[in-house]
Amino acid sequence: MKTYAKENHLGIKGWVWGGNYKLERYLYLLHRLTALYLLLFVIYHLIVTTFFRIQSQSLWDAVLAAQAVPGFKVVEYLAILAFIFHALNGIRLILQGLGITLGKPTRPIFPFEDSIRKNRGLTYTILALVGIIAIIFLADFILGG
Amino acid sequence: MHSRWELLHMLTGILIAGLLGAHMVVLHLNSILGFFGIGSPDPASWNTMIERSKQTVWLGIYISLLAVVLFHGLYGLRGIIFELNPSTTAERWITRAFTVLGVLIFAGAAYVPLTLFGR
Repeated sequence: MKTYAKENHLGIKGWVWGGNYKLERYLYLLHRLTALYLLLFVIYHLIVTTFFRIQSQSLWDAVLAAQAVPGFKVVEYLAILAFIFHALNGIRLILQGLGITLGKPTRPIFPFEDSIRKNRGLTYTILALVGIIAIIFLADFILGG
Repeated sequence: MHSRWELLHMLTGILIAGLLGAHMVVLHLNSILGFFGIGSPDPASWNTMIERSKQTVWLGIYISLLAVVLFHGLYGLRGIIFELNPSTTAERWITRAFTVLGVLIFAGAAYVPLTLFGR
């Protein structure tokens, strides 16, 4: 008998599009993309702060000078942006995953309120916080040159 | 057992938010912190970095951050790969490979703050 339990019908395409998704599904996709970006950045960051940091002041200064270009500042700011989003959205997922923000069960009386809509307020709050913190860090990047 | 690792993934996520948040505020909000008279004007410079490396609290933050980031990142990546439904044997080998990789990166990267702390 054929089993479908281990079949993945959509593969990688399924991560991006699998139907008429709601906002939270796209936040899930963004959560995944930011995770991969952060992982790549962490690998780079670890190489810089281990191999180069321990050797000499001149090498460390040369690395800092090489990173002080506008292109790298954009990469760095995107990493901070990715971290802010990933952290706050992760906290939202933990709160929802553990059922903390679901509230008490209610009777299914029309118009029905599903668990996603119950948490829409939290989603908007998280997105607003991401925006505010991102602006604060952007201000520091502009001030710092 | 699987749910215990999931729970650890959540807990490390919260820890990273706190520890990496502190790291980012100190290193990337220096202009705004400087306006209020706190923090270092150039936190990435050699002298400031060496001075920070000598402090036990920063050594603790770096080592803990390294451990939780490696676990959280590699466990998350393993989850992403598992969504593509590899065979059970492949899943086992991926888990083993990620465990070895994590331990090796941790050993290599923890050596630096420990050495600088002891200098």
